Amino acid sequence: MEAAPSNPTHNIISTAPSAAISMNSSVATHRNPLRVDWPTVDGPLGLSEQESVDHARRFFKFGFLLLPWLWAVNCLYFWPVIRRPSSYYHPDLRRYVVRSAIGFTVFAVILSSWALTFSIGGERLFGHAWDKLVMYNVAEKYGLTGWI
Amino acid sequence: MDENSKPRSVLDSLGEEIVRIVTPVSICMLLVVILVSVLNNDSDSSGPSFTSIATIAYNESSSDSNWDKLKGALLNALVFVVVVTAVTFLLVLLFYFRCTKFLKYYMGFSSFLVLGFMGGEICLFLIGKFRIPIDCVTFALSLFNFTVVGVLAVFMSKTAIIITQVYLVVIGVLVAYWFTLLPEWTTWVLLVAMSLYDLAAVLLPGGPLRLLVELAISRDEDIPALVYEARPIINPDSVQRGAVVQRRVWRERRDNDIGSDENLESRSNLNSTVYSSLESRSGLESLPSISKRNVVDVEDGQVPRPDSELAAPLIQHRINVRMNLQEGPSDDFALEGIGLGLSGAIKLGLGDFIFYSVLVARAAMYDFMTVYACYLAIIAGLGITLMLLAFYQKALPALPVSVLLGVLFYLLTRLLLETFVVQCSINLLMF
Repeated sequence: MEAAPSNPTHNIISTAPSAAISMNSSVATHRNPLRVDWPTVDGPLGLSEQESVDHARRFFKFGFLLLPWLWAVNCLYFWPVIRRPSSYYHPDLRRYVVRSAIGFTVFAVILSSWALTFSIGGERLFGHAWDKLVMYNVAEKYGLTGWI
Repeated sequence: MDENSKPRSVLDSLGEEIVRIVTPVSICMLLVVILVSVLNNDSDSSGPSFTSIATIAYNESSSDSNWDKLKGALLNALVFVVVVTAVTFLLVLLFYFRCTKFLKYYMGFSSFLVLGFMGGEICLFLIGKFRIPIDCVTFALSLFNFTVVGVLAVFMSKTAIIITQVYLVVIGVLVAYWFTLLPEWTTWVLLVAMSLYDLAAVLLPGGPLRLLVELAISRDEDIPALVYEARPIINPDSVQRGAVVQRRVWRERRDNDIGSDENLESRSNLNSTVYSSLESRSGLESLPSISKRNVVDVEDGQVPRPDSELAAPLIQHRINVRMNLQEGPSDDFALEGIGLGLSGAIKLGLGDFIFYSVLVARAAMYDFMTVYACYLAIIAGLGITLMLLAFYQKALPALPVSVLLGVLFYLLTRLLLETFVVQCSINLLMF
């Protein structure tokens, strides 16, 4: 690792040969291959950068099968990616994670508005249909609780 | 830089590791006790007849004499243990013939069944009991989401560690609740029988669990299993910047690209027993790789489905091996022997969770006093087992000490302590 003799303000953190990297160096404009800022919330136990992109993409695509919770888990896993400014990580990674977040929010708003309307509106709003749709009646009608 | 922070002592990391394994066990027990006390209020003694693999020999009814109940329970437990042994041997055989993919898919399938069907049923019980006004569309969608993400998290791909842990605890809660539906005498005799089986299967030379672990060691592979792995403590002093914390299976490998993801991913649900074994060899980078392993036997026995999920747990301890460390500090860590001083992760089989929770839930069906006594007994047993683990550094069964202590405390509390406490309270003496 080379110091930059012509730039005295550049902080030289360590002189150890292979593995020393300055953390959160705002002066580093290029991405260091041995990245210390892990993209996952698990830190060093999580995935590396390249695997993260594949992982995020896979989860994003899977979430379209009516799985908003999968999107939420994806966002949770890559929480540092959302927190940090956009140029910090691989651009693809951030794109997928942000899209997962948007997808989850939209889905959650729709679903919760429907669920709240159903539960708060009740019979006044729906009439007969409420009794047919509510879960405990459906369970009784089809005998769903008799398995155990 | 970083050296000004005080180095963690063995006690710090040891205590934290123990807390990280005791907490999920306690949460699992608490959830099952809550479920049991909420849902089982009406049907106290024998509810509707509940047929499963564990009651195939004798279905207890409240009118039999004690001696009959005991005989029937012994018969049931014997059948169950025989089935578990057979399935474990089958598992060893499959593992021997390298059918790992089949095992993984089977485990994914069984966890799907547990999360989807049993989770759904218990939710329906709760919804029916509390008359929660949720509609079927929302319910179906949420259940679907929950199940699919659970299957993915537990065995298929890598997700956040916290999510995997939460889902493992949920699976433990669901299976434990299922076990509490068995008749009373059968449950107690089954618990004792399973602990004895665990003891035999892990420690005897011909035991299936021991064979499994030895196979896995000799091949240097992960055992596909349902195992709860506590988050390892990353010692900030020893993780060099830029180093990747990699997990080794059994032995240190020369190649840098890993395998570490595979190790973590192949924690699939599987019928295998948990055990811990120690493999230590100082290698090229002067780092020890000590890994222990837990195998969990999971079988569930419901008559409609032939496969069963059960767990005979063991304790496993796995150590992270850090690459690219500078030589100085690593030697000290290498020689700590116990391995708990390193940032290792303790693994506890899911069957441990299940049987501990079953014991405490059964105690809850009697009274809360027995719950407290059994909880303390189980935690004490777990602590003793962890100490033995650190001492012997090999595969250990986690069931016997805790369960036998728990049963002993239950009997003592029910027969002796209760009369004492009740009499004191009635006479306004204490409590």
